[in-house]
Amino acid sequence: MTREAGRRFSRRRLIKAAVAGALLLGAGAAAVVRTRGYAVPAGRTLAWMSPWQYVVFQHAARRIAASDRPEDSSIPSADDLDVAGFADGWIARMPAAVRRDLGRFLAYLEHLAPVGSGYASRFTRLSPADQDRVLAGVEASSNDQLRAGFEGLKSLVFMGYYRDARTWRVIGYDGPMRGRPEGGWR
Amino acid sequence: MTGASFQRGRDLRGDLSLDVDAIVVGTGAGGSVALRELARVGLQAVAFEEGALSRSGDFDQREDHMLPRLFQEMGGRTTEDFAIRVLQGRGVGGSTVHNTNLCKRTPEPILDLWARKYGVAGASVAEMAAAFETIERDLSVSPMGADVRNANNEVLRAGCEALGWRGGPLAHNRVGCQKSGFCELGCSYDAKQNALKVLLPQAVAAGASVYSDVLVTRIVHDGARVTGVRGVLLDAYGVPQGAVEARARVVVLAASAVGSAALARASDVPDPSAQLGRGLRLHPGAAVAGRFDRTIAGWRGIPQSYECTEHLSYEEGSDRRVWIVPAFAHPIGAAASLPGFGASHMAAMRAYPNLAVLTAMVHDETSGEVLAGDDGRPVLRYAMTDADRTQLARGIAACARLLLAAGAREVTIPAIPPVRVTSTRELDALDLSFVRPHSVPLTAVHPMGTLRMGEDPARSVVRSTGEHHHLRGLFVSDGSLFPTSLGGPPQISIYAFALHLAPHVIERARG
Repeated sequence: MTREAGRRFSRRRLIKAAVAGALLLGAGAAAVVRTRGYAVPAGRTLAWMSPWQYVVFQHAARRIAASDRPEDSSIPSADDLDVAGFADGWIARMPAAVRRDLGRFLAYLEHLAPVGSGYASRFTRLSPADQDRVLAGVEASSNDQLRAGFEGLKSLVFMGYYRDARTWRVIGYDGPMRGRPEGGWR
Repeated sequence: MTGASFQRGRDLRGDLSLDVDAIVVGTGAGGSVALRELARVGLQAVAFEEGALSRSGDFDQREDHMLPRLFQEMGGRTTEDFAIRVLQGRGVGGSTVHNTNLCKRTPEPILDLWARKYGVAGASVAEMAAAFETIERDLSVSPMGADVRNANNEVLRAGCEALGWRGGPLAHNRVGCQKSGFCELGCSYDAKQNALKVLLPQAVAAGASVYSDVLVTRIVHDGARVTGVRGVLLDAYGVPQGAVEARARVVVLAASAVGSAALARASDVPDPSAQLGRGLRLHPGAAVAGRFDRTIAGWRGIPQSYECTEHLSYEEGSDRRVWIVPAFAHPIGAAASLPGFGASHMAAMRAYPNLAVLTAMVHDETSGEVLAGDDGRPVLRYAMTDADRTQLARGIAACARLLLAAGAREVTIPAIPPVRVTSTRELDALDLSFVRPHSVPLTAVHPMGTLRMGEDPARSVVRSTGEHHHLRGLFVSDGSLFPTSLGGPPQISIYAFALHLAPHVIERARG
């Protein structure tokens, strides 16, 4: 191994170790407080997520799938489409390691990411505008693993959001040909 | 053994025990051909497929339904560092069920390179010709002319023409196509002439059996020869519900360059030269979107019927290793690819009907590795080289240039933060040094090269016959065989090599 390659290798390992530490810290912090102050809607049965994970995901989904025209009530929200509930069912079918990674990332988002953006509060207790700043900070993080975590979260949110025919008319998509109703998907 | 048929493992009760002449692991391009050829000479052959058996009526054109049904890890498989999403088929027919039907023969310079540098014998252009001709006939391969070119592909053609760049129509294996545009979610109209529709039914008609919902977990061997496989029957939720044990003189690995290598590693297949699982190539690609004033509606029509090869050379070490094709996605895929989130993202999604999307795939020289993970999942280790990163950046720039030349008002490179250009002058001034894994979303659909063929056991895993150098009766019949990446769609190469090597499999299976 060349000296340069060795440096790269060491630096990569160092970064990975730092990320692992941060995620573990996040998981540890969550382990202490994650069961307090989180309530899922009455009657909601969760397939895999714990209540705190569901609530954090729900808050993130509201911002990630936020409308560009908030005054237009015809555009469904993430809550209207039960994006968090969909994600819970989806992730329950994923391999255990993927579930573990998502759980750690949600813990990071809730407890550590706000600190990185200058907030001394949980993510779920921030205003929507502040949540946007936290999410933007994670999305643009200098850390590859955190950015990848954000992209994974974003993919899951959009899977839950754009699966629904009510979003298709917003973007001008006419939907599947198979089973298309006479008047089109609505 | 039960009679020749398609068997849904999820419907079976108890354990499964079989004695046959040959076992094929995986039912995609390579496995379907191997199974058919074995059955056609009267050998008792069985194929095991981890995923489900689907029929055209199951393909409902919805991303949220088809991703779990047709893709490994529900479409969420990535490299170990999460930098590259790797879309791989899962289900009877493998990736031939969700691919977009692109058919190109292995390029002559690639075959020459394999012979000259990697010691592959008996696979020259002349020696492969019969296999290519047969498989192209079997799958009804034909060129996609201008009459079936959709607007997204027309953008690529117009861009090539405006720039004077090399490009041309692709050939496909489709008959009776309805041009619905949902090819990547399985064909609802049975127009794909693929493993599921053509080859596996032929295999079954010749006496083979195909079991879905069977996860093979181990190749059974004594260190010198294979004796069979062990695995589990999966229920509809992928939960093991019974044991599988099958005995045979021959085991054919056809579970992809990822699945086959991971299984071989998990099975302690002899590997004295430490080559097993190494040499992973992916054709990593990045998408670039152009916004047009006119409606493109790129989700309609045949998705990939035109290619740009201006920046593609097959010579090893070339600095032109980029293959460009259209890459339009349905809403969920598009939303995940477009940069940002929230209000700005939805605003960008409103332009969905006006977008044309191209992807630049790198004919990669990076050598990755597949390992067997602790949890049974394969681990894909792939650290892109600087040379490949440079190719990726050039490819992204070329896509942007094509889109602008075709009349795009604005081009978006989905980096973090996103990069938008509206003119070639802006593009020329753009510093693309930011392009690297993690800075742009990367997708790969062509894993290759982890059980490479060649005559030298020190540099390859299997012989040029496809049989393992040290384990008698273990054959490989998928993209794992390829010593390098192809620089183009691999399905015809996989089908053809499976056919080309089948006589060796048959000879061994006959004992």
